[in-house]
Amino acid sequence: MITLRGKLKKDGDVSNSKSKEYNKRASVRDKLLVKEVQEMEQTLPSTCQVTFDDPHRLHEFILMIVPDEGYWAGGRFYFQISMSEEYNMAPPKVKCTTKLWHPNISEEGAVCLSILRQNSIDGMGWAPTRKLKDVIWGLNSLFTDLLNFDDPLNRDAAELYLKDKDSFRSKVKDYVRQYAKR
Amino acid sequence: MADSEQDNTDRGDGDNLKSDKLFTLKKWNAVAMWSWDVECDTCAICRVQVMDACLRCQAESKKDFYGRQDCVVVWGECNHSFHYCCMSLWVKQNNRCPLCQQEWSIQRMGK
Ligand SMILES: [Zn+2]
Ligand SMILES: [Zn+2]
Ligand SMILES: [Zn+2]
Repeated sequence: MITLRGKLKKDGDVSNSKSKEYNKRASVRDKLLVKEVQEMEQTLPSTCQVTFDDPHRLHEFILMIVPDEGYWAGGRFYFQISMSEEYNMAPPKVKCTTKLWHPNISEEGAVCLSILRQNSIDGMGWAPTRKLKDVIWGLNSLFTDLLNFDDPLNRDAAELYLKDKDSFRSKVKDYVRQYAKR
Repeated sequence: MADSEQDNTDRGDGDNLKSDKLFTLKKWNAVAMWSWDVECDTCAICRVQVMDACLRCQAESKKDFYGRQDCVVVWGECNHSFHYCCMSLWVKQNNRCPLCQQEWSIQRMGK
């Protein structure tokens, strides 16, 4: 299991007060993440895989989703997930780095998922009681249960679906063939 | 010092028990560890027991835990409890209980 001992110790040596405040918040985040990452790995859906480039930086990792059903089945979709030092008062930042045709993910990689919203009045947004495993579950479900054509980020994709499901399906497949095979 | 009573092994008088019916005492062993009903056991924001100092206060006060005197517990009208420190950070951006989404208003504070 990944430990943060090296990083936490280094942080403790820095003495000027501004970076001290930053380090204090970062260390709160890192302590939360030690538990959350472990829990996330233990509950990872079979369609998901998580990679840390640097095991000392738990606040940055790559999620790969390989949907086994639905329109995007067979594609490999990569997401960059990072937590600022404001975590867990602020939600993780998520960017999809695989180009895809999806009503809730823009072609530029912006992801529309309610629990990733910082401010929400409906109670569906981010809350510090949520954890990384909830985010993984949410992103994974965007390819199945949470797929939503009513409030689209990619309007064209949603409109195409409503007009002509076959064209939608084949456009999704084209994108998968072109961008999401590895 | 209030701290010392946490470590006191022979406190048999049950002082803490008589006033507060909101709690159920689940465990009582020789080192005087106890836990409340699961619901208010752990602060759902920082995941530290509400009776201990919150994660942020722990990061502040290096090895000693004198900071914990100021780190109190807060109960909402919804009966959910958190560290006051944790909850006051959260209500700055969203004045709802993060567990039940009810409008947050403080019922009481204390330890
Ligand atoms: Zn707390
Ligand atoms: Zn505190
Ligand atoms: Zn509540």
